[in-house]
Amino acid sequence: MTSNPLPWSSSRLEGCTLSGALSVTTEVTDGISVVHGPAGCSQHNASLLHATLLGEDIPHLLRILSSDLDEAGVIFGGEGALAAALGEATSRGPSAIFVLSTCVVQTIGDDVEGVCGRGWGVPVIPVPGSGFLGGGFQDGMRNALIAIGERAGEGKGKGKGEGGGRGNRDGGITLIGEKNLEADVEENFAEVSRLLALLGERPALRFIRGISWDSLAGLPAGRLNILREPELRPVGEAFAARFGTPFLDSFPVGLSGSLRFLREAAGVLGADPSRALGEERGRQEEALARFDDLRGERIRFSPTPGHAAGPFTRELASSLGLVPGEEGIPLPLPTPLPVGTAGLVRLLHRWRRVLHA
Amino acid sequence: MKQIALYGKGGIGKSTTAANLSAALAEMGLSVLQIGCDPKRDSTRMLMHGSWIPTVLDQVREGREASLTPDQVVYRGFGEVRCVEAGGPEPGVGCAGRGIIATFQLLERLNSLTGDVIVYDVLGDVVCGGFAMPMREGYAEEVYLVTSGELMSLYAANNICKAIARLAGRARSRCRLAGVIGNGAGQAGEEALVRAFADRIHSRLVIFIPRNPVVQRAEIHRMTVIEYAPDSAQAGVYRQLAKSIVENRELGIPTPLSMDDLESLAMEFLPA
Repeated sequence: MTSNPLPWSSSRLEGCTLSGALSVTTEVTDGISVVHGPAGCSQHNASLLHATLLGEDIPHLLRILSSDLDEAGVIFGGEGALAAALGEATSRGPSAIFVLSTCVVQTIGDDVEGVCGRGWGVPVIPVPGSGFLGGGFQDGMRNALIAIGERAGEGKGKGKGEGGGRGNRDGGITLIGEKNLEADVEENFAEVSRLLALLGERPALRFIRGISWDSLAGLPAGRLNILREPELRPVGEAFAARFGTPFLDSFPVGLSGSLRFLREAAGVLGADPSRALGEERGRQEEALARFDDLRGERIRFSPTPGHAAGPFTRELASSLGLVPGEEGIPLPLPTPLPVGTAGLVRLLHRWRRVLHA
Repeated sequence: MKQIALYGKGGIGKSTTAANLSAALAEMGLSVLQIGCDPKRDSTRMLMHGSWIPTVLDQVREGREASLTPDQVVYRGFGEVRCVEAGGPEPGVGCAGRGIIATFQLLERLNSLTGDVIVYDVLGDVVCGGFAMPMREGYAEEVYLVTSGELMSLYAANNICKAIARLAGRARSRCRLAGVIGNGAGQAGEEALVRAFADRIHSRLVIFIPRNPVVQRAEIHRMTVIEYAPDSAQAGVYRQLAKSIVENRELGIPTPLSMDDLESLAMEFLPA
């Protein structure tokens, strides 16, 4: 039973598992996402993804195929419709197929895993979800990451990257669960890359953003997984258990958070963070100095409900000399919070526009 | 047109009662349509002399829905009773409840819901939205509960009372409970128990059909009792039921019992 607590929410964070899962699976550039359910379920989600990506000037053609479950399928069972869709999908030569199910499919009890396991000559990966019955957007994302991670690179070459196992830690750093629909996704990637470069490292794998199926085969050998946000901890834990890869549970957030990120990453990678920390502190001080005109401004924050931004806002207000209080000018807080020092600078530009409007 | 629905626990003799009722109604010169709303599709079998008629959902399954004609789903049986079986999916897959809804929509589109009396014979173990369909949207206006004195049979009947009470609250609903039909399972004190159940839910016992071997004999000969043994006392009981139903004007909203009350009731009538 879904425990989605916000029935009034129209936030995509609380949508259906299908949207969350598709935001991941459609980023495998040579894969096909099959939505097992009525055509409307895939149409609505394809529209949502298409419109969101178009808003960011990404004319992404989504490879989504519907099993087009009709009324007869609902009454008599939809496994035949799924098999037909998988036949259609395989005929287009994908490297992998991801199968996402909808509410009605769960309700009528189709054996989705059974159909996926029939031997299609290409990895066919069922992603748990069942529309809203399986939870919300975040659950869909988590499920897709775990399901794909369990079989990452299957079928690549001859015996390479077949889902891994522990031991071989010669890979690089993997970013897990980037928010493909957020506006700042590339800026955030650049910021994480910049911080890692201070340690002499760089992300080797974006799991999963704009990447081919074969490239995902590097996941099991990664030395460090960096999760986009703490809500993805179950994914980090699943990969730690399966591949033995340690993880950081979030991209860097806030001033001290960015420094902590450097320390923790260095700890896992066996690097000395002293120089990186010094450079980053200097960068932060320089950035704050550029906003010295905000010192003494009376402000308050207008977070969205449930926003856990307390430590972030207190630290930032204190560092900038802002004066929080009920009578202050309301400042917007984005969800999710900005990434790294560069994200803070973008946020401070927004605040300056509000305070000096 | 009178539209009645017989609801009750599976295996309680509901279809036997429905088929004999339809046969008796036909004897009265009425045009009768009987619709079996149970995936096991045997509601009308005795009226059809043992043959399994193609079901509405068979046609849907085979993709003939768009070109369907009434004579592919409505079959004439004993006494010119028009017989329809909804059918359903194989056990373990799909949604039989949705199948019932689709059947009704299809029959409506074919203008097949006609006659002096329509008898809906509905499985009562599952009271999901699909199996409640005959009670909704102005189909069956009169619901009869078929029950023996067995606790689980009464439990199913009580559940259907809950559905009627719920649906009666809808603005456009005309569905009401018309009474209880006791179908004897051979228990001591059974008629008194079923009568007491009917009283407690604020309804009435329309008739108590005693257990009689002629029913099994008729079924072995693939006939209703009305056809196989028209002069038997049991045939007389079914005719009396048909007459009561035709004349019945007492419709109400039942008061379902709690499980505790239901068990206490059964306890009261336990043979010493």
